Amino acid sequence: MKKQMNKVLRQTEFWVFLIIIFLALIIQARSGAFFANNNIVDIMRSMICPSLYAVCALLAFVSTGPDVSFPLVAALSSYLAITISIKINYDGPWFVVYLIGMFFGALMGALNGFIIVKYKFPSLIVTLGTSSLFSGILLGTFEAARMDLPATLQRFAELSLLTVKNEKTGLGSTLPMTFLILVAVYIAAYLVLNYTMVGRGVYAIGGDEISAERAGFNVKKIRFGIFVVNGMIASIAGLCYAVMSMRYLPNEYAGGEMVVIAAIILGGTRMTGGIGTLKGCILGTLLLTMVTNSLILVGISVYWQKVFIGAIIIIGTAIPAIQSIFGKNKGKKVKGGEAA
Amino acid sequence: MKKKLKIDDNIFRLIIILVVFLLIAGITKGNSFLKVSIFQTMGRQMAEYGLMAVGCGICMISGGIDLSCVYVANLCGISAALLMQKNENAILPAILLAIVIGAACGAFNGFLISYLRIPPMLATLGSYQLFQGISVVISNGSTVSGAPEKYTDFGMKTVAGIPAAFLVFVLIIIIMSVVMGKTKFGARVFLVGTNAKCATFAGIKNKSIIIKTYMISGIVSGCAGLLSLARINSAKADFGTSYTMQCILIAVLGGVNPNGGFGTIPGIAIAVLILQVLSSYLNTFPDVSNYYRDCIWGIALIGVLILNHVINKKKSDKLAKMGS
Repeated sequence: MKKQMNKVLRQTEFWVFLIIIFLALIIQARSGAFFANNNIVDIMRSMICPSLYAVCALLAFVSTGPDVSFPLVAALSSYLAITISIKINYDGPWFVVYLIGMFFGALMGALNGFIIVKYKFPSLIVTLGTSSLFSGILLGTFEAARMDLPATLQRFAELSLLTVKNEKTGLGSTLPMTFLILVAVYIAAYLVLNYTMVGRGVYAIGGDEISAERAGFNVKKIRFGIFVVNGMIASIAGLCYAVMSMRYLPNEYAGGEMVVIAAIILGGTRMTGGIGTLKGCILGTLLLTMVTNSLILVGISVYWQKVFIGAIIIIGTAIPAIQSIFGKNKGKKVKGGEAA
Repeated sequence: MKKKLKIDDNIFRLIIILVVFLLIAGITKGNSFLKVSIFQTMGRQMAEYGLMAVGCGICMISGGIDLSCVYVANLCGISAALLMQKNENAILPAILLAIVIGAACGAFNGFLISYLRIPPMLATLGSYQLFQGISVVISNGSTVSGAPEKYTDFGMKTVAGIPAAFLVFVLIIIIMSVVMGKTKFGARVFLVGTNAKCATFAGIKNKSIIIKTYMISGIVSGCAGLLSLARINSAKADFGTSYTMQCILIAVLGGVNPNGGFGTIPGIAIAVLILQVLSSYLNTFPDVSNYYRDCIWGIALIGVLILNHVINKKKSDKLAKMGS
């Protein structure tokens, strides 16, 4: 029992969870509006895209290293999917548009994966390069501009999963259907990462590449596959973003990557690879979303938002580092390879 | 003689690339490209991100990375502008203030990386949000302008036809080359970047070296912020966000190994020249969208990486053969 307690206490996720509850109570106490139904739904709604990106970032970090190309993969693949479906006047089920997007996303991810696997370059530099390339293609070659969605996505966007209205303030909020996509992606990722050989391989190659190879994992294939999957998830997130904002906005994608990476690091993913959980992804994203959404509720000027985010990232990343220093002093090594 | 050539292999290659680009530009767009005014503009623009690239480059040599250069530059620019807004004559104090802030930001990064052992990428990722946030707060989220004319004149000043900003850039490049190439400190930075553990056992104080490296990066970025304030007479919290990517590209193009331990300051300087020539050349085509530049830079970054990889591999194969 004590051992289990210790294990929980050592998990970063637990501390993040505590911070979230603490923060929620403070915001509730100061504004009285945090636990209002519309605020909760708002937070859930604004978590959809970052949480999807967080899966990309998690897979990349756990197995290889940082991937910063996902916002532009999302932008370019959803642009292609939307343009193609408009050009051919497509009006079938909505998920076919997603499939088109995922196809292009997979291609772009494959480019990342190929360069990283073949030449063993640092993934940060490679993905910086490819995201610059994708942004050039999107805004230069295609001259993407804001545009309306094809009819089928438009209808999909108008569906809602849940609509709430705050009795006191009269403010309403709806949860779009894309939330179900998020849930589905997380369930799939959870099952693959925890119950399949490939999933365990993702953690293994991040923990120790050579040992993983000796143990029989095909490091190159797994790594390449991760980047392809990352491209696909990024394109899903990109289309979800377009659906939720009811039109395609090419300039709104870039720049989100750093906050997403910060979120998953807060959630306990290690920079050095091999450690990171989906639970942590959700909690980290929730924490940052709460901060960005709720500063106004507490009466802090929006100008301070970046300061808070920066401070949270620094404090959050310092905690595991300090923990591991103390852990070493006690002679206990933090065990690697913990999964969700 | 032979040994010297070997060291400068990469620089030699870069100079050839630069000359080839200049020739292509001169031949195809001679009348609109080979103009004094174009070169003056190039000199001014290049100085700003060139300095940030040097800052980022030395951090990469030490085995880390500095993603916060641009935001340190903005913060320094904004605080200098605010001080000068209040007091017209406080030009020198403003410059000093900017440099001190740059050094403080850098030292903060170094502290996070060395003492708290946060991976460099993350530490600077967090601190750039923080610096940007502070810039937003002190500037109330708007553009700060209204620096005294005496100061902004410097941005347009030329000495014998050469923009003063460019001279500052050259001066800092020379100082940094000497610091990195001829001093104990420089040698130690390279050692720490190659193998931090070995460096510790060799008796090097890694922590203080890293803090100093990031401090230099901060100071150099601060200078970049001052130059851009002089050139466009305004400073903004989110000015030049695309420079971050560009700085890393320049450093890698200039022969800095992203894993640390290798790279030269003159190499970075020539890479800055190459990029500026390329981008000014693209500007002479009015119908080519600016966004194509992103595309070309992305390809250039990956292309250079692959080229360096292939060349290094050939070299090591040769050495292996000689050994056997």
